[in-house]
Amino acid sequence: MPGSLAVRPKETLQAVRDALDQLSARDRTGEVITRIEHIPARAAEWAPMPAWVLPELVSAYRAKGITQLYAHQAAIAEGAHAGKNMVVVTPTASGKTLCYNLPVLNAVLENTDTRALYLFPTKALAQDQLAELYDLSQRLELSSGPSTDAATDIATGAPTGPAKIQRAGQRFGVFTYDGDTPSDARRAIRERGHIVLTNPDMLHTGILPHHTKWTRLFENLRFIVVDELHTYRGVFGSHLANVLRRLRRIANFYGSDPVFICSSATIANPGELAARLLEKPVEVADRNGAPSAEKFFVFYNPPVVNRYLGIRRSYINETSRVADEFLRRGMQTLVFANSRLHTEVLLTYLQRAHPPAPGSKEPVRGYRGGYLPTERREIERGLRDGAIRGVVSTSALELGIDVGSLDAVVMAGYPGTIASTWQRAGRAGRRSGTSCAVLVASSAPLDQYMVRHPEYFLSRAPEHAYIQPDNLEILLNHLKCAAFELPISPDESFGLPGGSGEINLPQLCAHLERAGYLHRSGGNWHWTQEAYPADTVSLRSVTSDNFIIIDQTASVEGGAEVIGEVDFSSALTTVHPKAIYLHQGQQYHVDRLDFDQRKAYVRPVAVDHYTDAIRYTQVRILETAAEDAAPGPALRSHGDVVVRSQVVGFKKIKFFTNENIGAGKLELPENEMHTTSYWITLERPLVASLPFTMSERQSGMFGLLHALESMASLLLMCDRRDLGTAIGERPPAPSAPAVLPPEPEAPERASVELQVEVQAEGTPSPSPDAPQEFYEPNLYLYDAYPGGIGFSAPLHERHALLLARTCELIRSCPCEKGCPSCVGPAGDSSERAKEAALAILDKLSPQGSASERNWDSETEIAQTERIPF
Amino acid sequence: MSSQIDYRLSRLAALRPAFGGSPRTMSSELPFGAAALAERLGASIESNQFGEHLRLRRWHDHPTSSAFDCGALGNGVMALLHPSAAPQCLDPSQWLFLDTETTGLCGGSGTYAFLIGLAWWEAGGLQVEQLFIRDYSEEHAALEALAARIAERPVLVTFNGRTFDWPLLETRYRMTRKIAAPQLVSHIDLLHPARQIWRPKLGSVRLIELEDQVLGQLPWQRGDDIPGMLIPQAYFQYLRSEAPSTIEALVQVFRHNEMDLRGLAALSSKIVELLAQPESIESDALELFGLSRLLRRRGSCSRARGIYERALGAGLPVEADRTARRELASLAKRDGDMPRATSLWTEILGGTRDGLDAYEQLAIYYEHHARQPRRAQDVAREAMETLHQAQTAGHIEPARYRRVHARLEHRLARLSRCTRSAPSSRLELLDTSLWLPAE
Repeated sequence: MPGSLAVRPKETLQAVRDALDQLSARDRTGEVITRIEHIPARAAEWAPMPAWVLPELVSAYRAKGITQLYAHQAAIAEGAHAGKNMVVVTPTASGKTLCYNLPVLNAVLENTDTRALYLFPTKALAQDQLAELYDLSQRLELSSGPSTDAATDIATGAPTGPAKIQRAGQRFGVFTYDGDTPSDARRAIRERGHIVLTNPDMLHTGILPHHTKWTRLFENLRFIVVDELHTYRGVFGSHLANVLRRLRRIANFYGSDPVFICSSATIANPGELAARLLEKPVEVADRNGAPSAEKFFVFYNPPVVNRYLGIRRSYINETSRVADEFLRRGMQTLVFANSRLHTEVLLTYLQRAHPPAPGSKEPVRGYRGGYLPTERREIERGLRDGAIRGVVSTSALELGIDVGSLDAVVMAGYPGTIASTWQRAGRAGRRSGTSCAVLVASSAPLDQYMVRHPEYFLSRAPEHAYIQPDNLEILLNHLKCAAFELPISPDESFGLPGGSGEINLPQLCAHLERAGYLHRSGGNWHWTQEAYPADTVSLRSVTSDNFIIIDQTASVEGGAEVIGEVDFSSALTTVHPKAIYLHQGQQYHVDRLDFDQRKAYVRPVAVDHYTDAIRYTQVRILETAAEDAAPGPALRSHGDVVVRSQVVGFKKIKFFTNENIGAGKLELPENEMHTTSYWITLERPLVASLPFTMSERQSGMFGLLHALESMASLLLMCDRRDLGTAIGERPPAPSAPAVLPPEPEAPERASVELQVEVQAEGTPSPSPDAPQEFYEPNLYLYDAYPGGIGFSAPLHERHALLLARTCELIRSCPCEKGCPSCVGPAGDSSERAKEAALAILDKLSPQGSASERNWDSETEIAQTERIPF
Repeated sequence: MSSQIDYRLSRLAALRPAFGGSPRTMSSELPFGAAALAERLGASIESNQFGEHLRLRRWHDHPTSSAFDCGALGNGVMALLHPSAAPQCLDPSQWLFLDTETTGLCGGSGTYAFLIGLAWWEAGGLQVEQLFIRDYSEEHAALEALAARIAERPVLVTFNGRTFDWPLLETRYRMTRKIAAPQLVSHIDLLHPARQIWRPKLGSVRLIELEDQVLGQLPWQRGDDIPGMLIPQAYFQYLRSEAPSTIEALVQVFRHNEMDLRGLAALSSKIVELLAQPESIESDALELFGLSRLLRRRGSCSRARGIYERALGAGLPVEADRTARRELASLAKRDGDMPRATSLWTEILGGTRDGLDAYEQLAIYYEHHARQPRRAQDVAREAMETLHQAQTAGHIEPARYRRVHARLEHRLARLSRCTRSAPSSRLELLDTSLWLPAE
């Protein structure tokens, strides 16, 4: 966008050089700055404004300084105008909003009945886009008189409602519709909104179940814009795919077949993700035509202070130091932290170092979700006009909020995915001049992998995004919502294979009928419940069945205070009876866990320890979908499993020394989940050939699993919590139960020896003598969501790559005997855990020496493109 | 794989059984009990271009229908009942009473009206007609039948139907994509007038309470009426189950709906009766108080004054008495009847909401009407003292305290300027040109 502060190129280049020199000067061992990547400038690729764009729209854009388009903008606009579903894949600040605003506004100008629905993952993004659209619509008001048919129609609409409505102009009704929309404005929005900006949650609970109130919109719905498509992956994406199935169904009911225009950050499979979400053919435009200036990308690893334990200097302090180097050279700097707490800490440090000049405002500001909208707008403006020199932000500024471009970006910790790292780094980059992005690694395994393997990061192999819309739990919940919205006809497919397929719509409806949710009449299935199904289905959390945490001592004035909430799966490990629960730095003792009411009663205490739950996890293989021999000898497999877990006790761990100072037993309900899993079977010859003691071998396996989990979440672009791990004996025959040792929730590995055989489905257990070694262990990585979320098949397919990455992670870790960054903290397990884990990996790797293998990113991409869903 | 699919489905939370009974075997025919239900009720099967539905008609003698004789709805009664009523409303034979039984209370496109109860005045009594869908597939036929009835009698009369029954039916019409939602000439919702009139007496105004407390002797007994919350389940059970008990539950729903319709009709008679001749009505104090509030709100101030006086004369409970006096005083003030207004204010002075308001009104009166700033000052000082006492005793919410306090303080400051600069009555008179007009 034009208007960003013009900085003379040579000056900025010199400032970046000086800052980097200063940082390098401190790096005496050469281990701190692991890479300085120079990304050269690139010129813009232009395309003319398409001929079909109406003159008034052309002049409105001209008034904003836009007379021609970037190549990708033209490609998307042309495709959408021609009725094709499109997805644009470009980095931050490449003008992607024009890609969809141009065809949509043009269509509204051509026919004022045209309606469009924009979906943004957050309310803040919708607000940001509202401002942009409002600006355009104002220019269009000015550029043309009331002679067109559009103006006459709108003139008949009564200008009622709050100021917001009146403000939004006459020709274009452009509104946000979300939880904050006042109820008196809603009716006007339904009738008069040409473009309605909302989010998936509001669509799911507020719009679709009340579609009869939105008749006008649905009858004329021509475009649906899905922004930030890459955020819809995993559980959220699987939910969204079903919400879109429902949306298309309602649109069809009203006789419309809207065109989808999507935008995505750079991921490996944007077209595949879009096609899977939309269930329609989608064209991808990924040739970025936006220009970019010269940039440096720096990988920064805080110096080691204790090599034996693998402890480094605080990455938060280091981030502050790096940001300070840029700020004091007058460079506008954006600092990203991964949590709200770290945002505040960093803000405190930087504001102290850069106090405001007398009589002026703070030059360094914070920016995160909890801030008021007006405050945020002020900061965004301050960044654009240069009044604000530095901002510390959470991921809130990573998505498409327009703040212009800055001189430097410093990231405190790896954002979790390559895609978001590029998004954040993309915030730095002036049209002219030099900019710089620095990634400061924390000691988490992924951070350490990235900072020690910058070539992996830079090799243009961003993550795949996976979804599984046909996850039965998710699918059935949305079928309920769909039936509520409109009776389900047997002729529909709801995106499922028709005919005699394993899972088809009539079969699922019949199950829902048997369970009492639906009733068949006149051939169609109707909703037969009083309850409103969308209310009980949350798109974002794994389960809406949360436990609330109640501080009983806070009941001085009327009732106890709810201090927090934990989701179902972590409740048993964090708020079990007698647990010490940490909340905002305060310790609470859990007095009572009311399992049925989903409540934990706590009181504040001050003790010198915390607690760590001991969980026994057992995986039973229901069905093996694929099993292949792998070097080792080993097997790589994936399939359906039942995971049973139970918290059976806890340990008390002393702060700082991590001594185990006591333990307790617990009797808590068992949790059972049907899901999918990928697993590696270590065959007997492999286990037998390892030159370690039994205990060392076990530690090695757990250490290996710890590292595998980190790398798998990297390859899958998922949260670490989306995956669960377990080790169990390979079942003697197909479908026989596997018996599982406790999962090392806690760093303590000694629990292996305490292994208790928890038996599944009454089948007799193998020899229960303890201690016992696995004869042929299975290392499971399962989807931590009922029904599975589609991770298992890709992991099975990418087995070799996963092992190679894991090997790189462990081998390049400078710790001596294991640390949290690789196989888990040293001292908790056997002395030789790291060594044993590497020995197992060596056996598993094809050349017998995985560490030496050089990974060619091209073959890797070729390999991953074939992944079946 | 197929051996696994049932197991997998059986483990899903989304398929946790949602009802107790055993489901009937699937068929696309009507539910098992449909024929028995029609027979049990003596209902007929009607059909139109959209298919069949069940219809049950009963005529009831309705003594109170005489309330509508001799053009009772003229003389502004309708304006009191429904401010924007169309002329057709004046003819009670155009009225269509409506009450639906639905599959849920939350609205949205998945909530159905499975029983549409209608009633109208006919032959000196009340004709009740109930349209029932024996299964969801009959909904369009029932909606078509309803549209025909509304075309005959386009004035809809409901109790809480403006926010619930009618929007729900409009949604149902939209869902058909075939049948246009019928146009109403007017929609008279009795909830709001009933609330005005009887809330002081009853607190809440549910139809059942009105039947019990204000409609007097009725020719029917609710008895073991089915609770409203069980009604959706009764219909679901009928759809799914083969047990004969499900039919009996539905018969109860029909009965419930019919009593609601008769209650609604009786309520309309009662309200019209009250509004037609409020002056001659024999009634208790609280009902008169409620009636006067309705009249006042509809702008019928002089009539309202008369009823207020009667309510006060009949003896109201303390709090209602205070409120009635305050409201009556403001009407008297509007009429310029200051003696009556001041005496009413004087009667209720105190630390209550009404009492504090009376202090302020009295102070305004002395300052601007009577032009006795010293007296106004005395009243305001006393008010301030009372306000402090109320606050100390915790009888007043903090926000209100602050508001009243600020106003009194402002008034006292102004009055003290006036009285200082105007020591004698002669000057007081001269100063009047500077006084602000009455608030």
